[in-house]
Amino acid sequence: MKDFNYSAPKTVKEAISLLGSLQGEVKVLCGGQSMLVLMKQGMLAPEHIVDIKGISELDYIRFSEEKGLTIGALATHGAVEKSPIVKEKYPVLAEMEDNLAVVQTRTWGTIGGNVCHGDPAADPPAVFIALSSKYKLMGKKERIVNAEDFYKDLLEVDLEHGELLVEVQVPPMPANSGVAQEKLMVQKGDMGIVGAAAFVTVNPSTGICEDARIVLTNVASIPFRAKGSEKVLIGKKIDEKLLEEAGQIASEEVDPPADTHGSEEYRRDMARVFLKRATAKALQRAQQKN
Amino acid sequence: MEEIKNKYSILGKRIPRVDAPLKVQGQAKYAADYEMAGMLWGKIKRAPYAHAIIKSIDTSKAEMLPGVKGIVTGKDFGGFKWGWQGYTRDETPLAVDRVKYMYEGVAAVAAIDKDIAEEACDLIDVEYEELPAVFDPFEAMKEGAPLLHPERKTNILVEYHWDFGNVDKAFDESYLVMEETFQTPKSAKGYLEPPSVLAWWEHDTLHYVGAKGSPYMIWRILGRAFDLPLSKVRVISPIIGCDFGGTKNDGHALDFSACLLAKKTGRPVKIVYSQWEELTTCLRRHSMAVRCKMGMTRDGYLTGLYTNCVADGGAYARMSVVSMYLANGFNTVPYKLENFRTDTWCVYTNNPIAAAMRGHGRYHTQYAMDGVMDMMAKKLGIDPLELRIKNSIPNPKPGETYYTVNQVRIGSCGVKECLEKSGELFGWDGYKKENKVDGPIARGAGVSASGFLSGARLTGHNSCSAVVRINEDGAVNVLTGATDVGMGSDTAMCMIAAEVLGLDMSDMEIKRVDTAYTYPDPGSYGSRVTIYAGEATMHAAEEAKQQILSAAAKEMDVAPDELDIKNRRIFMKSDETRFMPWLQAVRLACYQGNGNVIVGKGVSRRGVKPAVQAFEKGIGDTGTNYGFAAQINEVEVDLETGVARCTERSSMGDDCGFPLNPTIVETQGIGGSYHQGIACGLYEEFIMENGNTLNPNFVDYKRPRVYEAPFPKFHHAITQDPFGPYGVKECSEATTSTGAPAVISAIYDATGVMIKNMPATPEKIWRALKEKKAQENK
Repeated sequence: MKDFNYSAPKTVKEAISLLGSLQGEVKVLCGGQSMLVLMKQGMLAPEHIVDIKGISELDYIRFSEEKGLTIGALATHGAVEKSPIVKEKYPVLAEMEDNLAVVQTRTWGTIGGNVCHGDPAADPPAVFIALSSKYKLMGKKERIVNAEDFYKDLLEVDLEHGELLVEVQVPPMPANSGVAQEKLMVQKGDMGIVGAAAFVTVNPSTGICEDARIVLTNVASIPFRAKGSEKVLIGKKIDEKLLEEAGQIASEEVDPPADTHGSEEYRRDMARVFLKRATAKALQRAQQKN
Repeated sequence: MEEIKNKYSILGKRIPRVDAPLKVQGQAKYAADYEMAGMLWGKIKRAPYAHAIIKSIDTSKAEMLPGVKGIVTGKDFGGFKWGWQGYTRDETPLAVDRVKYMYEGVAAVAAIDKDIAEEACDLIDVEYEELPAVFDPFEAMKEGAPLLHPERKTNILVEYHWDFGNVDKAFDESYLVMEETFQTPKSAKGYLEPPSVLAWWEHDTLHYVGAKGSPYMIWRILGRAFDLPLSKVRVISPIIGCDFGGTKNDGHALDFSACLLAKKTGRPVKIVYSQWEELTTCLRRHSMAVRCKMGMTRDGYLTGLYTNCVADGGAYARMSVVSMYLANGFNTVPYKLENFRTDTWCVYTNNPIAAAMRGHGRYHTQYAMDGVMDMMAKKLGIDPLELRIKNSIPNPKPGETYYTVNQVRIGSCGVKECLEKSGELFGWDGYKKENKVDGPIARGAGVSASGFLSGARLTGHNSCSAVVRINEDGAVNVLTGATDVGMGSDTAMCMIAAEVLGLDMSDMEIKRVDTAYTYPDPGSYGSRVTIYAGEATMHAAEEAKQQILSAAAKEMDVAPDELDIKNRRIFMKSDETRFMPWLQAVRLACYQGNGNVIVGKGVSRRGVKPAVQAFEKGIGDTGTNYGFAAQINEVEVDLETGVARCTERSSMGDDCGFPLNPTIVETQGIGGSYHQGIACGLYEEFIMENGNTLNPNFVDYKRPRVYEAPFPKFHHAITQDPFGPYGVKECSEATTSTGAPAVISAIYDATGVMIKNMPATPEKIWRALKEKKAQENK
């Protein structure tokens, strides 16, 4: 690993002013679970590391009926996994964490670090996008961006020089809605070879799907919003045939990579399978709430 | 079997391992934990080509880097070549004029810290001329293929052609003959401890602390490499964090480089391989194509077997000569078989070197044979467990032996019991009738049985010696030349000495090899340690015991053979109320003896005579005895995604003769070989592209954990082998061989598709299912 300058601010204010003043390549380190791997492989060699693990004001998970869930950038995966309020109000996040890497990674890795890494195979961005979440960024001024708009390209996110992601904001779950996440793992905790997060709302009297937000992982350079599939589902009563149609559309629309875990052809078919599985589960949950 | 269990006070009991407290408290010192004052860090410079001529190496820029203390290249070893046997000496410590596999070492640097050593490696300029390379063994066998070792005129590293009985006639007379080809993957040893070495020169003697399961191998090799008498090579063994064969048996670039850099700089040099170096350049299990032809009667009795094996040996020979023997040497167990023929080749390619691994050789042919057997069982309409039971070699009666057609001598064989008990523990009867499809999930079960040698005596010196020292305070040191690489042999040795001496485990202490003081021993391979070192330790303890008894007898005015020891008492066998406390007898013996210490010496000579016709003709008894195992596994397959996983339903039967410590045997079977076995069936595979390893990390290279492989139920078949000390035989190489075939055959049962190129990854199963559907729709 190449040498770098290291600083560890204790407050958000201090961090922002430091980030604004540093010249050259700067990387923010939090849990470091993804970034250190890249640094050890020599794929990343920043001049400056700003370690925000000590900014305790960003370590929180809060909930209110009006605002929904707010997760501080420093909250660890383990904290989300075990949070009683998360389990009660957004069980999908706890389920997601249970299958996210291994306990050591969850204990040290943070939500903020994960969503800023910009890995299209990661689970939290997909689930947050399905839940219509927003990210709060602090720099010279504060910015709120849709989670969906935050992802620009492979490992590239909408963070300007001097900016820090401080919070993930998940809105309250609408009535008659359900959300689920599924992924293709060879082993428990794997990055999904393909994954899907699905959110649906269903009219309780007609049974018609009123809204659907479906996001697939590891099938494009960013989390993939399956808009074609959503379109087929919205305004209709979802049944097996319709799900298959939505899945087929997804398998055609995605642009998956090929690697040692799966070919492009296999991933396309898995996009179909997992879109169906996640959506069916979300639908079942939306109906159960009625 | 109760009388065997109650025969001993310590043996056969679930005694805690002697190394467990050290390991779980983080106190165990491994090679990488050793540091010395003035120590330098070494790093290997590696070539980015799979096959290239080294035109020049310029180290001048690296030498100028502050903190760099020494650099060596391949030429500095003075033309030294080494190998497993004289005729396989084809490898230099670092490449001299030609690199033959990707990332082969070409130079080494010693610097004041790791980062500087790494930076210096980047500053070494090497000019290469890339050569055509060959990565497929079938291509490498062809006329005109690029030659790895031009002086040999061929890439064929070794070939064997054996013929027993009359295979053609057997096939002609068979009711059913089937032939299929199966391919095993290249796979990692997967030890957690990285290869590590700390070397220094002191008083003209080379000192070496390294992670080696066979420390006396590197002792000899270093003696030759540095032209030293063996009295001036001191190899000291730390605790070893697993081995499984290969890199930790003999040497690698780091071993020689650290020693030479230490000599050149006059300072201790330490090198620890990164996981990346381990997984790209260290020794891996062979990949092998096995074409297997099998004949059976209408009732499912085996009539004949032919195997045609082609293995990828990688760039250098290493132990491939042995691997290829072992691939076919025991195809005549665990089933009765009168007609067997094989044609077998191992071929040099520009891939990283292949070498021994647990279940050595056997695991490849086992997979192919089980696969064909299951396909035949299905055709004949015979239950695959029943088919295996009816073909099993019976357990010879006491005093009798069974000889296979290739003269393997079996004194005990519990394979039938292993199969039957595995079936009972699994609940095989009635399993067929269960509903095994639920939505996209289909369940199925598979069975495999195997046999493997213990106490390999293939070539050369295989005897083993031990010393048992009783100190004046009654505390006992056990010393052998053997090495516990995690399998629990240190505990076994202490148990044997304690049993013989009538003492407690708390009286026992075992230290590891120091070649300046311990007896030479070939090391930990070939499932030989408990058989040989165990017998040596037993004799050494007996000799020490005799000295104690003699001293006590003199004092008690009786004959030594009237006495025995139990619970720290030397007592008269005819009248247990007449006794002398242990400590009093020890003091008497120590002070009367020479040097205030009792020294008992013991040796096992069972491995001294190798089976000379083994390699060339496949004839002979290359083991001291043979362990057997059976395994039944259930898997569930997701028919949409192709993901197959083991369920909680599995069972294993193991015949290790007599489990000296049932807990250790179970952890070797359940926790060790079970995971390693099913791993090859479902997960493990190096993905290669032109000699480059694409998944050299344990995220992309999959190994199962407890989530993926819940522990099986376990049965001990106790057969009391006549040729092992206390009746013991190997445990865990046979059980390593059964894992992959059992899960592959379970997938066959669940889906009807036989995966012939394991591991059965999701995409492979998905493709096979798609193909099957297309066939059915035709």
